[in-house]
Amino acid sequence: MAGALEPHLEALRRELRAPDPAVLSVLLALIAVIVTLLIWRLVQGRRSSRKAVLLLGLCDAGKTLLFARLLTGRYRDTQTSITDSSAVYRVSSDKSANVTLIDLPGHESLRLQFLERFKAAARAIVFVVDSVAFQREVKDVAEFLYQVLVDSTVLKNAPALLIACNKQDVTMAKSAKLIQQQLEKELNTLRVTRSAAPTSLDGSAIGGPAQLGKKGKDFDFSQLPMKVEFVECSARGSKGEEGDADFEGLEKWLAKIA
Amino acid sequence: SPFAQERGGNNSFTHEALTLKYKLDNQFELVFVVGFQKILTLTYVDKLIDDVHKEFRDKYRNEFQQKGTLGLLNGTFDFKDDFMRLLRDAEESSKVRAPMVMKTFEQSLKSQKTVKCMIETRGEKPKEKVKNKKNKGSKKEGAEAGTAPGKASAGDKQPSGDREELTKDEILQKNREEFFRRHMKAGEKSSKSPKPEAQKEKGKKPRVWDLENSNAKVLDYSNSATNGSTEACPVEEFDPDAALGDRNREPGRLYDLEYESDEEAEEEKVVQNPSKPSVKKGGLGGMFGMLKGLVGSKSLTREDMDPVLEKMKDHLIAKNVAAEIAVQLCESVAKKLEGKVMGTFTTVTSTVKQALQEALVQILQPQRRVDVLRDVMDAQRHRRPYVVTFCGVNGVGKSTNLAKISFWLIENGFSVLIAACDTFRAGAVEQLRTHTRRLNALHPPESHGGRTMVQLYEKGYGKDAAGIAMEAIAYARNQGFDVVLVDTAGRMQDNAPLMTALAKLIAVNTPDLVLFVGEALVGNEAVDQLVKFNKALADHSMAQTPRLIDGIVLTKFDTIDDKVGAAISMTYITSKPIVFVGTGQTYCDLRSLNAKAVVAALMKA
Repeated sequence: MAGALEPHLEALRRELRAPDPAVLSVLLALIAVIVTLLIWRLVQGRRSSRKAVLLLGLCDAGKTLLFARLLTGRYRDTQTSITDSSAVYRVSSDKSANVTLIDLPGHESLRLQFLERFKAAARAIVFVVDSVAFQREVKDVAEFLYQVLVDSTVLKNAPALLIACNKQDVTMAKSAKLIQQQLEKELNTLRVTRSAAPTSLDGSAIGGPAQLGKKGKDFDFSQLPMKVEFVECSARGSKGEEGDADFEGLEKWLAKIA
Repeated sequence: SPFAQERGGNNSFTHEALTLKYKLDNQFELVFVVGFQKILTLTYVDKLIDDVHKEFRDKYRNEFQQKGTLGLLNGTFDFKDDFMRLLRDAEESSKVRAPMVMKTFEQSLKSQKTVKCMIETRGEKPKEKVKNKKNKGSKKEGAEAGTAPGKASAGDKQPSGDREELTKDEILQKNREEFFRRHMKAGEKSSKSPKPEAQKEKGKKPRVWDLENSNAKVLDYSNSATNGSTEACPVEEFDPDAALGDRNREPGRLYDLEYESDEEAEEEKVVQNPSKPSVKKGGLGGMFGMLKGLVGSKSLTREDMDPVLEKMKDHLIAKNVAAEIAVQLCESVAKKLEGKVMGTFTTVTSTVKQALQEALVQILQPQRRVDVLRDVMDAQRHRRPYVVTFCGVNGVGKSTNLAKISFWLIENGFSVLIAACDTFRAGAVEQLRTHTRRLNALHPPESHGGRTMVQLYEKGYGKDAAGIAMEAIAYARNQGFDVVLVDTAGRMQDNAPLMTALAKLIAVNTPDLVLFVGEALVGNEAVDQLVKFNKALADHSMAQTPRLIDGIVLTKFDTIDDKVGAAISMTYITSKPIVFVGTGQTYCDLRSLNAKAVVAALMKA
């Protein structure tokens, strides 16, 4: 047995000592390819790391108009979005930073689907809330926000969260503080009801193993692993369609996270 | 919302007093919508929408392809003039076909019939014969130039125009105008049939029933002057509406839906580059045609998708989706994908499957919140009981699932009153009593602060269900119960008196949640059941907005392995969510729906 192997080993050793250019070149080529692949994958991973800012919210919250205003500064009539739109936004304070703004539809049937697609690429999330209709819609807003917050990818990446209270130009709009308090209360209740919901068909619980915030204490936005801020803005602007939108807070925040 | 709910199969959509006809351009992700008043039948709408589509696309093709989102946002789409021109052309082409003078007897169709034709019964046969004659005549004279200038020009324009663009309406219009043209030359015609003329000298003005769709204009017997003006008026009346619907929308709104396609546009940009070399390759030989099919820039046509869609439709039907729903779904997916440019290395099958999967997930996503506990808490705060009514056909599992739901509610600390409104079936009340006893044994009053968590409210058999329900709710309010679960008798959807009784119960008691209990084993029946139940509830309700079914409970889910199509059928018909899923006969067998798992089971080969 050893005798049979010996001549083979001898042949191998001879090969290595007297380098046959063909074999060597093949080996080198293979190594080069592997190294390139590794480097490329690393670079890809770093580059595609989350440069997107998602615009989420209920239907008619003003996401698409906000999107248009941020990008062009002009007012546009918008329709209910049925698909996403994305564009690169240059921060206005002359830094060379730019982020990709992605505007997702708010329609109930579509929102989760698009969220699934883009949540991995999200560096930050802007959750747009309609301040005027908030009293009526508080439960729906809270439910969507809850779904976003307990998502496992979102919890893992912990993107910065900005809750933009839109439509402040209308006099009946609620203030950001009020919205924050109401949302905290609502999310507090939702924690309980969602985790008590019947388990899903394939065994995974709807509320997810994640528990928002700390148990035993009332829910607070400071308990979340990500930074949460509230800002007031108005996509339409106080001077109507001709003037500019009032969203300096939003722009400053975007500049900060870019 | 027809797009959002995957109902984009038909071309038209009615909303209040308007009919909206739409056309999708999937290559650039555009939607063209034309709105007009429902009572008016405008025959040029289809042609108009096609023309607008083509012009717009050609004019702004560059902008779509190169500039992407920012370009679309910034660009001005000055389409107004073009649109007005197209609208005017379309209107004129339809106006021309209006009838002018009342026909004299010689010009009418009756004079053309032979005596033999007239003697036969006025069924389909004489009409067919006359039609054949008419078609033969029109073929003969197709080449001749008509004397009436306007009609002739329109008529000649059309046959020479795009053959594919002729819709069914247009073909009929074409036939009709050729028929008119023929009668302008009354002299030639009357020489062919002297006999009937001699016989039918009654002077009675005939009614032209042989033309299938004589619209109001043909039947209008006022003279030409008033014809012209009355005709002008309706055109002007709805012109602002139709045009307003379009004028305001086209420049501003259309492009907004376009710029949402930046992702697609980027993909297209990427695809354009490989497409250029592949186009050159295509010129090199048929062998590369196959490669071109693989490597991007291939836009999907109906023919490509049809075999795949057929297969998917059969697959869905095999998985117990109702047949009509499967057809509509496939139509909607086809409309969505037509003309779309595929990415690199994607086959038609995979694209279609992907689109279908997304469509199914979209359907199963609830349109409204599905959180019963939250709503119960709300009602608790207002100190009134939360009333849930269960309805459905016989034997689907209403009482069993009612018990399961009450168990779940008790586990979460709410007290439940069960109202036994099934006063018909033998043993219904006893069944609920047994459940109550068991549940109380599982959750004795001691562990809940001394109050009985479950109680049964019953009044025996043979009484009026609506009355029992009302008393039960009043009792619950007095005693401070949190939830009232109303169990009704099973009834077939065709049984009119029973459906009336159910509608009365719901209308009178206004429950917070009306749950339709359906079993997962049902196939095409699901569609019929739900439609009829909803109709009954809507018909017998006095209110402005009738209470319809709010949610679905899907039972006996453990009996089907992966033939889960009933879930799709039910949610598609009602667009209401599936609130609970029953998976067995013990108290713990209550689940909530996981859309992705169901769709995965559906799409699994």
